[in-house]
Amino acid sequence: MTLVGRPGIAATVAFDRVTKRYPGTARDHPGAVEDLSLEVPAGRICVLVGPSGCGKTTSLKMVNRLIEPTSGRILIDGADAAARDVTELRRSIGYVIQQVGLFPHQTIGENVATVPRLLGWAVARRRERSEELLALVGLDPATYRDRYPAQLSGGERQRVGVARALAADPPVMLMDEPFGAVDPIVRERLQNEFLRLQADLAKTILFVTHDIDEAIKIGDLVAVMQVGGHLAQFGTPDEILANPASDFVARFVGADRGLKRLALSRIESLELRPAVTAMVGDDAAAARARILADPFEFLLLLDADNRPLGWIGERDVPEDGLLEPAMASPTSPQLDRRTTLKDALAMLIDAEVQVGIVVDRKGALRGLVTVDMITAWAHASTDRAGPVVIS
Amino acid sequence: MRPGEPLLDVAWIADHLDDIAFRLGQHVLIAVIAVAVGLAISMALALWARRAPWLRGPVTGIAGVLYTIPSLALFAALLPFTGLTLLTAEIPLVLYTLLILFRNIMAGFDGVPADVAEAADGMGYRSAERLLQIELPLAVPLIIAGVRLASVSTIGLVMIVSLLGKNLGGLGVFITEGIQTFFATKVYVGAALSVALAIAIDLLLVWLERRATPWSRARAARAVAAD
Repeated sequence: MTLVGRPGIAATVAFDRVTKRYPGTARDHPGAVEDLSLEVPAGRICVLVGPSGCGKTTSLKMVNRLIEPTSGRILIDGADAAARDVTELRRSIGYVIQQVGLFPHQTIGENVATVPRLLGWAVARRRERSEELLALVGLDPATYRDRYPAQLSGGERQRVGVARALAADPPVMLMDEPFGAVDPIVRERLQNEFLRLQADLAKTILFVTHDIDEAIKIGDLVAVMQVGGHLAQFGTPDEILANPASDFVARFVGADRGLKRLALSRIESLELRPAVTAMVGDDAAAARARILADPFEFLLLLDADNRPLGWIGERDVPEDGLLEPAMASPTSPQLDRRTTLKDALAMLIDAEVQVGIVVDRKGALRGLVTVDMITAWAHASTDRAGPVVIS
Repeated sequence: MRPGEPLLDVAWIADHLDDIAFRLGQHVLIAVIAVAVGLAISMALALWARRAPWLRGPVTGIAGVLYTIPSLALFAALLPFTGLTLLTAEIPLVLYTLLILFRNIMAGFDGVPADVAEAADGMGYRSAERLLQIELPLAVPLIIAGVRLASVSTIGLVMIVSLLGKNLGGLGVFITEGIQTFFATKVYVGAALSVALAIAIDLLLVWLERRATPWSRARAARAVAAD
């Protein structure tokens, strides 16, 4: 491995009061940007999201100066992009667009090696680099290297586009609706691969989409923009879902924002409720006394390794003798700490129960989660986080 | 044609192989110079029109007007100025190629997909690099299509030059002389070779295009690849 997987090559990107107006037109001309300030820390993904014409693509293209701002500055690691040589600037920024824009007359290998070629790398190093990157995005170099773009499917072309953008290991990547032109199943897969890749590469990425679900899934930070080029809100996905800064943001993220938030949090963020338990072979009378004393009406039966076997209704616990596995009915779904709250809720609803059993990796009991706990969490944390505005 | 004479006098052909080869070579040379100069001028105009789009209409219009001038009239009109020289032959031939070549080169540039141009800019191609490495290669199929059309029509037009005088007419000289002296063999040799020449040049250019654009065949043989 030469360069791939070398984390930490990332830069901060900051918009400092950036405005783009188009001459002779109204301020909310499509694509205009008004006084945009935000800062993306190094190694993070910032998603610019908003309806068409909100200026998100304009903002992106001002970073590599395909569009020049009317006023304001864009700082990359503190240095003004406008002061740099535009060609050198662009070669140091990865660029991925929706239609990919692979060069039809070049092979896949040559396409990936585009920026290294422009930078004057030697042929052997270019070839090695392009094969390394094809493998990184999940395309077998031996199979794909000598093909032409027209011979690839949409999803494969999109992967090549990402590989090409990564070729010279740029500290910053700009991605303009990169997964917008593929079908939903392929998009989902590409998103997951992209996040897995980013976990290793830790680039600073500006990502444009009009799809709020994609923004929430992909972004460490989300900038919601509205027509006229105004930044409506800037924060983590959870902050935006929990506390939309305006009616516009609330409408844009959708009426199901509560559910969307649940998809962002996991069981581990809840304080689990302890269960009244007993082990196989325990004295039934003692167990019966304990469960009758507890407001909860079901006793959880565990095996010798603390693994839940199922529930026994308090009135069904025998008055004497020992507890046996056959007495328990396994009705609750078993969840683990990494299950999202949305999935947990869905599983509880599907199983038509109020309570889920949370287990660890070995299957041992950790505690209980209830439908009420999940909804209470959603309500409580809505008021906790305030909107974040970085200026 | 004189009565009783054979349609094709093989003995004459055998006696005049040198002459035939010379005329064939002359024909090729005149046509190649015309198309090459025409391509150079058209390319320069197209590159200029690419930077200054308003030029495109006027250039197409003027080239179109030139194209409508009858060739014999244009050759004759130049005689007082340039005499019976190669220049007299080449000026009209070059002018006639401009319309076809300019339009095809422009169409070739137009055919560069917007996303490809944007990707090239975004990755830091300088203007000249983008032109030479991206736009021109992608325009090659349409440019060669234009060169094929221009070549075939120029090979036909060289025949007309023979009406001005023997020294420049290429294979047309055989036809002119054959008609004047009622000698059919000469007419047939001139006609057959000029047709063969046009076809040969066309095939050569087709072969060249295939060599230069392996990627365009990849599209035809597109694999149905799964994601």
